[in-house]
Amino acid sequence: MDLSTLLFLVLSFLIVVFSAAVVILPNPIYAALSLAVTMISLGFMYFLLQAYFIAGVQLIVYAGAVMVLFVMVLMLFDLRKEIAAFSGGKFAGLLKILCGLFFSGALVLAIRQGVIALNVSPGEPTPAEQIEMVKSLAMRLFTQYVLAFEALGILLLVVAVGVVAVARSRGGTHASHN
Amino acid sequence: MPAITSAVGAVTIVTLNHYLALSGVVFAIGMVAVLIRRNVIVMLMGIELMLNAVNLAMVAFAHYRQDVSGNILAFFVMTVAAAEAGVGLGLAVNIFKRFKEVNIKSFEHLKG
Repeated sequence: MDLSTLLFLVLSFLIVVFSAAVVILPNPIYAALSLAVTMISLGFMYFLLQAYFIAGVQLIVYAGAVMVLFVMVLMLFDLRKEIAAFSGGKFAGLLKILCGLFFSGALVLAIRQGVIALNVSPGEPTPAEQIEMVKSLAMRLFTQYVLAFEALGILLLVVAVGVVAVARSRGGTHASHN
Repeated sequence: MPAITSAVGAVTIVTLNHYLALSGVVFAIGMVAVLIRRNVIVMLMGIELMLNAVNLAMVAFAHYRQDVSGNILAFFVMTVAAAEAGVGLGLAVNIFKRFKEVNIKSFEHLKG
């Protein structure tokens, strides 16, 4: 067993366990912590897949910015009395979990049956080749996909304005009820 | 098709199928999180899990097909996911300010 296989096994174990912990743990802070571990493991998996730019963006944007946003909003709330963290009765909950198990089983079965095993696993690239890969990604991003890139910038601007409009408190900073 | 087995001496090669299976499992876990949790923030975490699973599938395809377009698509998905998390958490703050809880059933009273 070579190193990349071992890394894949360890990382996939971490990802599955901690993403399951997001569902199971009733305290949202622990769920956020598990989600952060999942994001970091996914970032290392992108390194394994030789997507170096995406791995960096994953670590900065997801494990950094988005997780900070989640934890900060959780800190705003008083979640000591978290009543009914899970929905529905016993039967409905069981049905939902069975739905999830069936769905994942069907997906994995379909992937096993499929013939999409592309076995063109390339060798380990040298550092010069790694830089070349990031460069080719940037070339594609700013030529072929430049319109989508600019649209994404407009989307972010609109979302920033919209979030401020949604979350602002009406009638000053100390408004009690409106 | 070579598979990872625990048998001693078996050939262990990680193929695209392994990455796709992992992606499917993570997607299902995120779906269960959205289905069975009532806390709006944990439901948003489930959505993030699903988006990450799709990203993993796209990056794996990009790697095994030697096509960088999958990486660019994953980059776009990440940006949109960050924006979506911002909007969702803004709504959660709004709900908490009115109802002093972040339960999903409070959404039906939110208007204007």
